Amino acid sequence: MTDSATAVAPAPAVAAPKLTVRDLNFYYNGFHALKGINMEIPEKQVTAIIGPSGCGKSTLLRIFNRIYSIYPKLEAKGEIILDGENILDSRYSMNRLRSKVGMVFQKPVPFPMTIFENVAYGIRHHEKLGKSEMEDRVEQALRSAALWDEVKDKLKQSALGLSGGQQQRLCIARGVALKPEVLLLDEPTSALDPIATGRIEQLVEELKSQFTIVIVTHNMQQAARVSDQTAFMYLGELIEFDQTEKIFTKPGKKQTEDYITGRFG
Amino acid sequence: MNSLYMRRRVTNAVAMGLSTLATLVGLLFLAWILWETLRQGLGALDLKLFTKITAYGEDGGLLNSMVGSLIINLIGIAIATPIGVLAGTWLAEYANRTKLGETIRFLNDILLSAPSIVLGLFVYTIIVLPSTALTHGSTTFSGLAGGVALALIALPVIVRTTDEMLRLVPSTLREAALSLGVPQWKLTLQILIRAARSGIITGVLLALARISGETAPLLFTAFGNNYMAVNPMDKMSSLPQIIFQYANDPGDEMHAMAWAGAFVVTMFVLLLSLLSRLILSRTKVSHD
Amino acid sequence: MNSGKDHIIKSYDDELTRLTGEIVRMGELAVTQLESALDVLERRDERAAQHVVGNDEAIDQLEQEISHDVIRLLALRAPMAGDLRNVYAALRIAADIERIGDYAANVAKRSIPLSMVAPVAPVGGLGHLAKLAASEVRDVLAAYRDRDAERAHQVWKNDVVLDEAYTGYFRQLLTYMMEDPRNITPCTHLLFMAKNIERIGDHATNIAENVWFQVTGEPLDKQRSKRDLTSSPETSKLGE
Repeated sequence: MTDSATAVAPAPAVAAPKLTVRDLNFYYNGFHALKGINMEIPEKQVTAIIGPSGCGKSTLLRIFNRIYSIYPKLEAKGEIILDGENILDSRYSMNRLRSKVGMVFQKPVPFPMTIFENVAYGIRHHEKLGKSEMEDRVEQALRSAALWDEVKDKLKQSALGLSGGQQQRLCIARGVALKPEVLLLDEPTSALDPIATGRIEQLVEELKSQFTIVIVTHNMQQAARVSDQTAFMYLGELIEFDQTEKIFTKPGKKQTEDYITGRFG
Repeated sequence: MNSLYMRRRVTNAVAMGLSTLATLVGLLFLAWILWETLRQGLGALDLKLFTKITAYGEDGGLLNSMVGSLIINLIGIAIATPIGVLAGTWLAEYANRTKLGETIRFLNDILLSAPSIVLGLFVYTIIVLPSTALTHGSTTFSGLAGGVALALIALPVIVRTTDEMLRLVPSTLREAALSLGVPQWKLTLQILIRAARSGIITGVLLALARISGETAPLLFTAFGNNYMAVNPMDKMSSLPQIIFQYANDPGDEMHAMAWAGAFVVTMFVLLLSLLSRLILSRTKVSHD
Repeated sequence: MNSGKDHIIKSYDDELTRLTGEIVRMGELAVTQLESALDVLERRDERAAQHVVGNDEAIDQLEQEISHDVIRLLALRAPMAGDLRNVYAALRIAADIERIGDYAANVAKRSIPLSMVAPVAPVGGLGHLAKLAASEVRDVLAAYRDRDAERAHQVWKNDVVLDEAYTGYFRQLLTYMMEDPRNITPCTHLLFMAKNIERIGDHATNIAENVWFQVTGEPLDKQRSKRDLTSSPETSKLGE
């Protein structure tokens, strides 16, 4: 059994690609953090990115909504095509990008406002809605996040009073409220207990019928449970990208096998 | 093995003993000051303190000084707070890790530790003297000048606490708001300030507590007034200034009044400190 | 593909090594049983035959242990990729070895009634079959131990030799039975024993398929032709 060629071809896309990454290189204070990444992320599926600490998976994720641009000395070269347009182009409006690509972070960070306001805040910035329309949108978002039943009677209470798992679902509701096309999840359950984690994973399965989801996780089992395809990264390079089932039963690269069987030293 | 353990225990006991002793010494003086203030001040504490104005002799009170203090402090805080909060916000959000930001923080720290008498002299030069010249002597020392001097003392405190409190807000909160497409200024005003709200308020209260006790700058700016004055353009009395005045007086009743004044100031500062602690603990914004 | 590196958690490596060792040991026991059965047959030793039958329990015991270890590994280690295939293959192979052991014991068991009648000529032929089967099993177990997919594939292909030998032996026994009715009893016993040995060969090929899958991750391409023609129409015509 020989290793396949060094150049990584994109995974056989079962769906049309939503995001196409072409020759992406990323520099962090001069340091070459991401090297020549090429991948196609299929539409309305869950793509997981795994790899050891420092491999660049979170860095890659954060390029998809250009959140890195608020920090100095970070530079991205290459192309990322979303619906036919290169989002790395300086002419592509951030506002527009972030209404199409939403993000949920590792630590639940509700805004210091009421639960209702948390969800409505982002919507208000992009759309002008009447009161009842807004209420419907908020309800819809909270339902999508499987949180509505738990908070419908306390929408006017501070979001900071919710439990960790609920806060994270609120953050997801906040993200989906803008009706993005792509949802980026950066280790969304690493701060949560197993039951809350399970709920979020169930949510991801439900959400993929509406959104393209990219999830970064350091928990391989989670990637195995939740994703349709998995990308393995190491030291800033994309080592292997294939159907999840194949990656976890018969990976093509020795490095991938070493990582997922716990042989990485 | 055992001797090592014993030696550690002895060292521990000695260190504990010394630090407890040091704490007790500090507390001793604090308690002594409070006790003296209480003892001496309570003796002169009387209703007429709050109803009569300055008078040398039996019939004197602190009313004009208290009113004066209130007005001057208010002016000081009213000037320092908006400038301080905005400056602190700018430092934390727009100039966080830049050279310019570091420089300004450094300058702010210098202003923070500037001797208050120097600031008083400064205000004397830029406000009192020109106003004397401009109004041909009708407005010289003024409550306003006193307020400005106090503002200069309060300003760096507010800048510092606002800056620190905002920097304590986790960066993921900023990223989360930006990910929704919200621009920086909106995020700062609507989310960050709200998140750091209790900390900023505490900073303002602490600045107020600080300036309530400042004496030296007021001597060349507000100067003092034995009569009631509510117009900031007039010379104004204030509690710290009246304490100074009465303490220099040969008479004993005046000394007692000075102590009473000291007591009032101390109580006011104590109250402010307690209030700020209450606010900070109540509305603790925790992102854990 | 197998990684030469160790797992970060050492006890995981130990458990996998232990599993492999159990399989190898079980296989060796099964081969020994088969050879003992052959020996017992030639010597016509009833007591030794009982001994062989009794020993089969040790093989069954090992299969239980291996099943238990596999469950444990699956639950506690959540093996992935190559490790998962190792564990899965171990489970399947253990089942096949257990059947081999059973068949060997059956041969030994049948040698008892056989020893009670007069010896017949074809007994020697059975020995030949048994030797073929034994070498197949040894070969495939070596392939398992060395993770040699090619060697396993060879075993798989070579089983055709055993099948053909069995077909020939079957015809020979039929001829003997038709010649002299007194041969029917011993030859029938021999028929059953030959069938058992042929089945041992089939199980050896199962093990070969599992070894192939474990190493390569792909199922073995089953283009092998079945050469056991005893059930084909031509053979039944022998009696006419």
